[in-house]
Amino acid sequence: MRKAIVVLALVGIGVMLIYAVGEMPPMGDSGNPDKVHIAPRYLEHGEEEAGASNVITAVILNYRGYDTMGEVAVIFCALCAVVAILNREKTGLSRTSMDVSGVKASVVVRTTIRFLVPVIIFFAVYIILHGESTPGGGFQGGAIIGASIILFTLAFGLPESTRKLPLRFRIPLESFAVIAFLAAGFTGIVFGVHFLTYLMPGLSEYAAETIRHIMMMVIEIGIGFAGGIIFTSIMFAMIREDQCELQPDSP
Amino acid sequence: MDWTLNLLLLMLLLATAISVIRIKDLLAAAVVFSAYSLVMAILWTQLRAPDLALTEAAVGAGVTTVLFIITIYRTVRKED
Repeated sequence: MRKAIVVLALVGIGVMLIYAVGEMPPMGDSGNPDKVHIAPRYLEHGEEEAGASNVITAVILNYRGYDTMGEVAVIFCALCAVVAILNREKTGLSRTSMDVSGVKASVVVRTTIRFLVPVIIFFAVYIILHGESTPGGGFQGGAIIGASIILFTLAFGLPESTRKLPLRFRIPLESFAVIAFLAAGFTGIVFGVHFLTYLMPGLSEYAAETIRHIMMMVIEIGIGFAGGIIFTSIMFAMIREDQCELQPDSP
Repeated sequence: MDWTLNLLLLMLLLATAISVIRIKDLLAAAVVFSAYSLVMAILWTQLRAPDLALTEAAVGAGVTTVLFIITIYRTVRKED
């Protein structure tokens, strides 16, 4: 009986959804509402209004700046939740069972990763810094930095990674994105305009453009490095095991 | 050419998505999910969204797979 009701409800919802899809405007049609008002404005005036030739960066940082600030805060809150539940790793004490097992990653893997990680981080920095003219930006570059550090940790173990990236180095960086965004936002208020305004009034055009460029750069770099370090810290918190207090120090 | 490639990728996407739900071995499911993300990343580039493709490849195929595997290692590998 219950099954019949569930099936009936699902079929009903399915019919309604299919009916709704039939009502939708055809995909990719040039007469659709999103292509009449918003997209032409972004494409035609994005560069002069937002100061980034990559339209996506213009939308993310300028037209939808509040959304991006919320996203950055969400990532930071995720890290706070993970750290609140799982706690930080302890320097010199935290290991993984991989580290104490005595089986190491092979020489091939370690050498490959040793050569690959700098190249990957270089690529990530390129993506972060060129976010305003080519595809990419803070989030993408940050994810790549995080992935490269995770790769390093998987091959070389947690103690080596935490020695390279100690806690006192990571804690200031984790909040850097939110702080950069808020600093850029309040700069506008200091100049007497709205929160998150990039073009400051009362300056020459060149000075205003330069300040806008610097602000966007700071935000991109902040999102990038903070994102990468937040991924790293979440991974460290999840992977750590303080079991070596019971065992001899060297495997 | 473009059309056949997209059809192939979409079919692969569907196959990986269904296998992720069906597979009872969670480690295998995590690996298949990583493959799903990779196919999705290629599809994003096909849809002219390189920004999303970069994010999908780094986060979807890279970071979340590692986090899933750590979680599986901490809990149980088999689904009931």
